[in-house]
Amino acid sequence: MVDAFYITAADLAKNGYKDLPAELDPSKHMIYSSPATLDYNSPGAKGFGVKRAGLVIPGSVMLLIAPGCCGRNTALLSELGYDERFFYLMLDDTDIVTGRYVSKIPAACKELLEELDEAPSVIMLCVTCVDALLGTDLERICRKCEEETGVMAAPAYMYALTREKRLPPMGLVRKSVYSLLEKQKRKADECNILGYFSALDDNNEIYALLKSAGIRKIHEIGRCKTFDEYKELSRANFSIVLNAEARAAAQDMEQRLGIPFIELTRMYRLDKIHNQYRLLGQAIGAELDDSEYYEKANSIINDFKAKHGDICFAVGESLNADSFELSLALVQYGFRVAEIYGTVGERNFVFIKKLSELSPGTRIYSNLSPTMMNYTPSPEINAAIGADACYYHSSVAGVCFNGEEQPFGYRGIEMLFTALDKALDEKGEKA
Amino acid sequence: MKNLLKKLSPLAPDDSGACSVLYELGGITVICDAGGCAGNVCGFDEPRWFEKRSALFSAGLRDMDAILGRDDLLVKKLTAITKQIDAPFTAIVGTPVPAVIATDLKAIERMSEKRTGLPCIALRTDGTRLYDYGEEMAYFRLFEKFTTDKLPVKKGKAGVIGATPLNTGKTDSKKMSEVIRAKGFDDVVSFGMDSGLDEIINASECERLFVIAPSGIKSAKYLNDKFGTSYEVLYPFADDDPCLKAVNDLNGRKVLVVHQQFLANELRNRLETEQGCDVTCASWFMLDKDYAREGDIHITCEEDMISAVQGVDAVAADPRFKRLLKDFTGEFIPLPHFAVSGTLDKDIK
Repeated sequence: MVDAFYITAADLAKNGYKDLPAELDPSKHMIYSSPATLDYNSPGAKGFGVKRAGLVIPGSVMLLIAPGCCGRNTALLSELGYDERFFYLMLDDTDIVTGRYVSKIPAACKELLEELDEAPSVIMLCVTCVDALLGTDLERICRKCEEETGVMAAPAYMYALTREKRLPPMGLVRKSVYSLLEKQKRKADECNILGYFSALDDNNEIYALLKSAGIRKIHEIGRCKTFDEYKELSRANFSIVLNAEARAAAQDMEQRLGIPFIELTRMYRLDKIHNQYRLLGQAIGAELDDSEYYEKANSIINDFKAKHGDICFAVGESLNADSFELSLALVQYGFRVAEIYGTVGERNFVFIKKLSELSPGTRIYSNLSPTMMNYTPSPEINAAIGADACYYHSSVAGVCFNGEEQPFGYRGIEMLFTALDKALDEKGEKA
Repeated sequence: MKNLLKKLSPLAPDDSGACSVLYELGGITVICDAGGCAGNVCGFDEPRWFEKRSALFSAGLRDMDAILGRDDLLVKKLTAITKQIDAPFTAIVGTPVPAVIATDLKAIERMSEKRTGLPCIALRTDGTRLYDYGEEMAYFRLFEKFTTDKLPVKKGKAGVIGATPLNTGKTDSKKMSEVIRAKGFDDVVSFGMDSGLDEIINASECERLFVIAPSGIKSAKYLNDKFGTSYEVLYPFADDDPCLKAVNDLNGRKVLVVHQQFLANELRNRLETEQGCDVTCASWFMLDKDYAREGDIHITCEEDMISAVQGVDAVAADPRFKRLLKDFTGEFIPLPHFAVSGTLDKDIK
């Protein structure tokens, strides 16, 4: 048995992204479905995977067309009240060999409609690896279903095989859920926030900042209660993209609906957040005064530091942040980060380079490495951030920070440090 | 439409069943998939994932691996892992991806054995069948491959085939073993639950085998043919088993019990003898005709289940089925089956 593989930030930065160790490159080894990170391998199981994301359109239902194994864990979503919205066309081996199931899909749609008290806004047709390999033309099938049922149909591709492609499943499904919007007259004082399937935290400063710039209505799909509200998204003057996985959707909306977009990134470094708002202001022709929020977040960090002192963190990747950017922020604020469990990519390698200068000894692990079976927690760590880090360090204060209310900007910092403060207090009480 | 589920979600598939049998044997198990199937197994169908460690991995296949048929890459990754983790054997479990591209799993088995120097079993599951099919295949291949020597029979040693969480709703064999011990066996081993590959290798020293689910029958027959080991079919309910508690007040009524066949049969025996009930058994899974009575029902679709409850006073079945039986006017008794709802018997309220 070998110990869990890690590399220090200094060594990783020195070798460069092109010489990534094999253990950090999931294409070069078997994938360990660590109990800490099950959502990697099972996107439909928790949070918003393709199946749940496809149902973010109000009034929609989904027909999953796949072998039984692909829909097995959907039972987990029944706890969230999705039972009435899922239907399954189960493929057998003859279906796969002959492709005969394709012709049954419109009839299956008709039959599921008979089960419903009222017609859905759309039937999402969800296909899996089988159709990725067979090259099924799902858009054509959607058109056929629409013709035969009179109800709109849209594709949802749960193609785990294409996870590392330019347009991965979670990017494709974002494109799908906005694909039903139709062009209408845009309103100068309305905008969209794209990127997440649930809404930002209600107290996020971005709402107030946009209002100060004259934006009266901010649309988010996670706040749409009805299909009519959903349709209003196409009258926005512009979209703000908070997650790169929504870029393809925003590009599609730009082309089809004429809605331009601005891309922002979720970060936890105060100076970068400030700079981003400054650039957003320039892009929309307004000066956004974020000083109040900056000061508040800054004082929250300082108060936390004064109260809890020198904390040594473990930072995971099952959380609402980029593991490396968050770690860099924590180090810049004067904390220590001993370990990071994350997926190194070209985009976040820039954070690793900066981290290597400030915290060269930070150990970087890949949750997906088979050697993580043998991981043993380091005693120097006294707080964990992320569901995976909390799993590995169950005896220290931890915050999963992976809730559905999405953190962003200064409010994200406030949410994180408030949760950490509470967790450390509780742990202290227990000790 | 027969294959359309309108009220239920899919039941545990064959790849989950295969993994369930292999889970505690100490080998390296690779699910030949892109990641989703392994997630379903580890995150849903394998409750031991959070209790007992197992070297269970996803092959992490990508589209070009499948399109180009990069079997050599799979074997290379498997070989690499055998250098990181000590294991007596490897296993490869099929999913829809190798089924679609017609991967020659037998060839991968041979290539793996050659490269790793470890015995390998490749299981041709494809995710379209049910868990018991995968379990049956895994048990059989294990006994066929590893139980090769006829050892002296140890008096008082019993072997249990079929002890998986999917069949029993249990993650350990303690209580089931106690029931078998009470039958006069002082050494009880449940193959694949609280025991490793050694017990499979030494299976021929068992005085008797107890088969507690239909997925174990094929292997029991094989061991009987090869070594003369006798076998008996039963389901080892402990007196305080939550399933028994669930059906303790059905005196004289007409009851439909829906579960895996051998558990349902045992429940029927008790309901008939202890409460004078008139019981029919039904299963969505294997219904071995040698252990079925006339009138027992093999359910293949939602409509079958709705028909099956006609005329009965009570139905004992997994709570997930309640949604399907909304028009049933009799009593619905929750009888969890892990392969249906993912509920362990310790979670029965």
